[in-house]
Amino acid sequence: MAIDLQYTPKQHALRAEARAWLEANVPREPLPSYDTAEGFEAHRHWETKLHSDRWSMVTWPQEYGGRGLDLIEWLIFEEEYYRVDAPGRVNQNGVFLFGPILMEYGTPEQKSRFLPRLASGADIWAQVWSEPQAGSDLAALRTTAIRDGDDYVINGHKIWSTRAVYADWGFGLFRTDGASERHRGLSYVVVPLRTPGVTVRGIPQLDGESGFAEIFFENARVPVANRIGDEGRGWSIAMATAGFERGLMLRSPARFQRTAQRLIELYRREELTRREQQTAPIDPGVAATVTQCWMDAEAYALSTYMTASRLIAGGSIGAEASLNKIFWSELDLSMHRAALAILGARAELRGLAGVEGVALAKAADEATRWMDGFLFSLAGPIYAGANEIQRNIIADRVLGMPKG
Amino acid sequence: MDFTFDEEQRLAAQSLRELLNDHCQGSDLRRAANARDLPSFEAACATRRARLAELGLAGALVPAEQGGLGLGVVDFVLLAEEAGRAALPEPLVDVEGVAHPLLATLGELGESTLQETLVGSALVLSAAPGTTVLANAAFAQYLLLSRRDDELALYRASDISLTHRESVDPLRRLSEVALHDAKPIARVTGATTSSAWQAARARSTVLNAAQLLGLGARMLEIAVAYSLERKQFGKAIGSNQAVKHALADVMVKLEFARPVVYAAAATLAPVRVAHAAVAAAEAADRAARAAIQVHGAMGYSWEVDLQFYAKRAWALAGLNGGRSAQFAAVHQSLLRGELEAQWA
Repeated sequence: MAIDLQYTPKQHALRAEARAWLEANVPREPLPSYDTAEGFEAHRHWETKLHSDRWSMVTWPQEYGGRGLDLIEWLIFEEEYYRVDAPGRVNQNGVFLFGPILMEYGTPEQKSRFLPRLASGADIWAQVWSEPQAGSDLAALRTTAIRDGDDYVINGHKIWSTRAVYADWGFGLFRTDGASERHRGLSYVVVPLRTPGVTVRGIPQLDGESGFAEIFFENARVPVANRIGDEGRGWSIAMATAGFERGLMLRSPARFQRTAQRLIELYRREELTRREQQTAPIDPGVAATVTQCWMDAEAYALSTYMTASRLIAGGSIGAEASLNKIFWSELDLSMHRAALAILGARAELRGLAGVEGVALAKAADEATRWMDGFLFSLAGPIYAGANEIQRNIIADRVLGMPKG
Repeated sequence: MDFTFDEEQRLAAQSLRELLNDHCQGSDLRRAANARDLPSFEAACATRRARLAELGLAGALVPAEQGGLGLGVVDFVLLAEEAGRAALPEPLVDVEGVAHPLLATLGELGESTLQETLVGSALVLSAAPGTTVLANAAFAQYLLLSRRDDELALYRASDISLTHRESVDPLRRLSEVALHDAKPIARVTGATTSSAWQAARARSTVLNAAQLLGLGARMLEIAVAYSLERKQFGKAIGSNQAVKHALADVMVKLEFARPVVYAAAATLAPVRVAHAAVAAAEAADRAARAAIQVHGAMGYSWEVDLQFYAKRAWALAGLNGGRSAQFAAVHQSLLRGELEAQWA
């Protein structure tokens, strides 16, 4: 088969089915932030709703509540999802990071214990990896899970754990061999976050909300049955992209195409207003950035379709994960900066929730969405492996440059 | 939806790469660049030209019923990329990607010329309306030219005034083309002619973008190799993060220009083509900039072969309106409200 950029009838049908379902079911009003108690439960409810018609994890096998869709079909679903501005996925890390690990390394008992509840939103999962002294250098982690009979006893301090403030479970890396160093002696263990010996403390983010948390473990006991995979094999399990597409699925291109579209709408509206009011035109530099952002969002989408096609044809994912991370995180930042530049003095306004129909309130709502997006986009080049680390990975593993 | 090249497309590119590995290395380019006159330039390129002719690419984009291979631009894009990788001096892309299919649109009027050029006993090139300088025209027997967009005329090169002009790229033999009152062998006018030129411009733009991808990738390889070889402070300069990150950024630019160029070749949609030109020119420019910097003072010397790839990239980046005109074309689409994701 040569390059064919047309969708098949089956793909069109999937798009139509997803569109119809989403249009009928997406909440009319945006849900409150999932970094509040109320918003978290509202988003959990949305996960349950998605799951009721098997839209919560479309690439998962049917036996686990998915649809067994391939990556191209996943991209189509994501496009429809962002097209209607559907709510953010509160269980994102569970669905895309933990689920595939469990399917590959979990025992049948573990799968039946965790997967259905993950799929339905009954359990929301947080990733428990970083520590105060183990960020980019994750292998420096020191939190121990020492075997005692049928339990592990966990002691230590984890941090920057997204959604952990309200999440039910965490999946993470712990040192099961207290004498070990670096990548050895680590195990992949899942821990309930509401259990004696576990204290979760929210950390206010730049936007004022507690989207991440630190977690203190003081003699917290979890059964050995909570270990995923072999003892001491945690590092390779955590790092395994083995056959699944973590690097591809962390951020779908539709998300950025949707933002680019909103940016273009903002730009065109503002340009028209300034022409009508005969005020100074938009800075040509900002105008050029808007165009560049559209191009980059398209480039990311095309690149993802190309990678997805290759994976479907039996290829494997390699350095794309690092290239992708750098590209989309910088694009996201660039789009939001351009929007703030266009908004000018309006950019600092915070939303006046509930005041409808007032011009200033509408402007503030719009500004708030862009500013919140901007603040979050600042985290993009940091989380999931800082972009500097991604550049090291590209240089070392792809370009074959020597370690420093 | 399947965004992968097929076996045949990859194999064709592979055989061109092998040929160019044997006959288009830096030393081969340098020999041609050092040629004092046209005959010695041609002598320096003779073996490679003969090998290229044997590759069987003549008429690649010419319809089969006119004696061509009947392929599409997307079948040629990886070949153009390979031509770029090697900074190939021969106008493979300009002939097979642009002039031959354009000549084919003349139908019976161009039939005998087409047969002559397809068997390789003559060379045809084209210059879009408004173009005054044409690379490799000195080697051509036929030229497709015009005074305006809705005219396409075939001339004998010997009837056209060609004046040699120097290029910054020592491997691009430029001629200033002046029509004066030359009489064409064949001439057509009308709306279909405008669209023939438009299609030729699109092919030229996207295939030059592919060459820029190849050039950028080659410059990145050269820079990486040099960074491993060159030692300062007792270690390879490539072990420093400042160098690593600069080259990693080049790779990001290249790898996100690549799908844009391929999609442009597959669809030939005007906005995709313009986007491809911008993205590939930017990536190649960044590659040249970083590669020269990594080479230090050597990068500014005539001695390193890097210059051949960088100069080709700078030359190609300016063609078909250049990066700024292509960027403006995308921006105009945006202003007209034409830019949306296809699912929006």
